[in-house]
Amino acid sequence: MSRDIHTVEGIARVVGVDGATAWLEPEQTTSCGSCASAASCGSGSGSGATGIGTVANRIAARRFALDNAAGLAVGERVVIGVDHRALIKGALTAYGLPLLLALGAGGSAEAAWGNDLASMAAMAAGLLLGLLAARTVAGRLGARGELEPRFLRRARPGETCSGSVA
Amino acid sequence: MKDFALMMIGAALVNNVILARFLGLCSFMGVTTRIDTAAGMGLATTFVITVSSMADWAVQHYLLDPYGLGFLRTVTFILVIASAVQFTEMTIKKVSPSLFQMLGIYLPLITTNCAVLGVALLLVEGHMSFVGSTLFAFASSLGYSLVMVIFAGLRERLALAQVPRLFAGPPIGFIVASLLAMAFMGFSGISTG
Repeated sequence: MSRDIHTVEGIARVVGVDGATAWLEPEQTTSCGSCASAASCGSGSGSGATGIGTVANRIAARRFALDNAAGLAVGERVVIGVDHRALIKGALTAYGLPLLLALGAGGSAEAAWGNDLASMAAMAAGLLLGLLAARTVAGRLGARGELEPRFLRRARPGETCSGSVA
Repeated sequence: MKDFALMMIGAALVNNVILARFLGLCSFMGVTTRIDTAAGMGLATTFVITVSSMADWAVQHYLLDPYGLGFLRTVTFILVIASAVQFTEMTIKKVSPSLFQMLGIYLPLITTNCAVLGVALLLVEGHMSFVGSTLFAFASSLGYSLVMVIFAGLRERLALAQVPRLFAGPPIGFIVASLLAMAFMGFSGISTG
């Protein structure tokens, strides 16, 4: 099956169905693709630990709702996707905007006063201002529905986000 | 201003975090299968490296140096980085739950990225001002993001190429990475950073 290059795909599991809404939890992915130490490593999903700061807790925190037009049932694995431009836009909004304002404010304070404490205060203020601006921009993107994941298809048995089937 | 510009070019291109200092190789090989995910990871890492370097500078100059606690530097910086990642995660979740759903996947991975700690330790050796060290960290992380995106682009092309079975997958990835590192050696001599 060919992949849509304009969509970033991920695998999620249906954990609840509430009328026309399905609740999904994304499956954990790792930067390393797992290794022989996965059972004892914090980035592996096989540790089975629960509680604050654990993988299970992080996944539960990223639970999201999806329109259940496809009639999904609890326990099913599905492939969801977001537009690749939305990912870049979202990353620039969340990280780029606060950083630019923080660096701009810090640089201006350094040029004006040449004092580390003043630069530090200005940079912190710029960061806070940037986060507020990011909130506004993200609100606009969200209102247009650009940040919402959408259902693509049911996952094949053993399918992972890298496309392999066991 | 000129000094800052030269220092930033040196940090981003000449002494690139990945290709010259060999830090962050785990994410370099693991999250570069697509350009957009590499860019997302790069921006998240840029944010965390810059924010944690600001905090690290303050900890170094107002806590570790005055009280002679330099031997606790590595442990303290790891704590600061983990806190910065948690702060970022909580902030993004508060700023926009939708963005958190989309981008939150990258954040826990950054805590264990050695590039973040590596840059923080390099800053201590540099004895720079607050703005200087923040700009150095920002430029280093921009260099990291640039290499991630370039390598992801190359791997997307490689996925379409007919590679001999013996070299398919990670082997050809490592060969391309070494060629990219040699290409970046061409920046040597522009600035010593």
